[in-house]
Amino acid sequence: MATDKELSDFLEGVERRAFKQAAYAVRNEESALDIVQDAMIKLAEKYGDKPVEEIPLLFQRILQNTILDFFRREKVRSTWVTLFSNIITRKDGNDDFDILENFESEEGTEASESSADKVEREQMLALLDAEIQKLPARQREAFLMRYWEDMDVAETANAMGCSEGSVKTHCSRATHALAKSLKALGIQL
Amino acid sequence: MNTDIKQSSLSQASAELEFAYKVRRTLDEHVNSLPESTTNRLAAARKMAIARKKPESALHVLAGQRRLAGAGAVGHARNPFNDSLSWLVRVGIAIPLIVLVVGAFGIYQYEEARRIDELAELDAAVLSDELPLSAFLDHGFDAFLSKHGE
Repeated sequence: MATDKELSDFLEGVERRAFKQAAYAVRNEESALDIVQDAMIKLAEKYGDKPVEEIPLLFQRILQNTILDFFRREKVRSTWVTLFSNIITRKDGNDDFDILENFESEEGTEASESSADKVEREQMLALLDAEIQKLPARQREAFLMRYWEDMDVAETANAMGCSEGSVKTHCSRATHALAKSLKALGIQL
Repeated sequence: MNTDIKQSSLSQASAELEFAYKVRRTLDEHVNSLPESTTNRLAAARKMAIARKKPESALHVLAGQRRLAGAGAVGHARNPFNDSLSWLVRVGIAIPLIVLVVGAFGIYQYEEARRIDELAELDAAVLSDELPLSAFLDHGFDAFLSKHGE
C-alpha cells in the first residue's frame, strides 16, 4: 500500500506533465487544472491503498477518463445551451484552431523579457505546444504516454484501451507528423 | 536485400526515438517554467487529494468503525490506535463467528434431545397402553404374536 508520502511524491512528480496533457486535450488551462485535481482526488480516494508500483498506470487511466468525461459534459452542456454546434467543432476540430492566436497570447506574457534568445526559445516552445495540440487525440495520447511518461507499449495500450500495435502506429504517426510540421516551421529541437 | 531493409527500418526507428526524446527534453523544459499560479494550484490539488486518500481496504474500515465507533481518524497512518486496531478487528470478526458456531451446535443438541424425548414418550405410551379387546379377537394378530414371539 502506498504511503501518504509515496503518493504525494508521485503526484508532485507527475502533476505538471498531467496538467500539460490535459491542457493539450481541452485547450483551456482552468479546465485542465480542474481535470488534474479531479484525477488526483479520484486516485487518492479510490486507489490510495494500492501498491505504489501500480499507481502510475492507474493515474494515467484516471486522467484519460477524466478528460473524456470533461468532453462528454461539455458536449451535453453545449447541446443544451445552443442548438448550434460551433462550440463543439471549435473544441474538437483541429482546423479552426489558430496557432497565431495562441502564440500571440504567449507573446503578451513575455513583454518584459529582455533576452532575445530566451524569447526565441519561448516562441519555439509555444509553437511546439501548438503542434502537439494539433495532433489527433489518440496519437497525442500515445506519444505523450510513451515518450513523456516513460510508459512501455503494453502499459500505454492498457491505459488507452487499445492494442499494442495501435499504440506503435499512433506513436509513429505522431512522431512523423510532429517532425514534418516542425521542419515546415523551421524549428530545430 | 533483407539486411538493407532491416537496417533502414532500424535506423528509422532510432531516428524516431531520437526525435521523440528531443521533444521530451523540450517539453520538460517547458513544464518547468509553468507560471507560479499554476504550480500553486497543482500543489493545492495534490494536498487536497492526499487529505482524501483512501485509508485502508473497505473491510478493515467497516470492521474498525463497528468496533471503534467514535474513536476518530480510524486507520490513519500515524494513529496511535492503529496497532491495536488490527487486533481488535480480528477479534471483532472472530467472536461473532465463534458465537455462530457454538449457537448452531447448541440448537442442534437441543433439537436432538427434544426429538429423543418425544420418541421415548411415544414408546412409553404405546407400551403402557392396554391392548383393546378386538386385538385379541384378531387371528392375524395372534399369528403375528406367535411368529414374533418365537
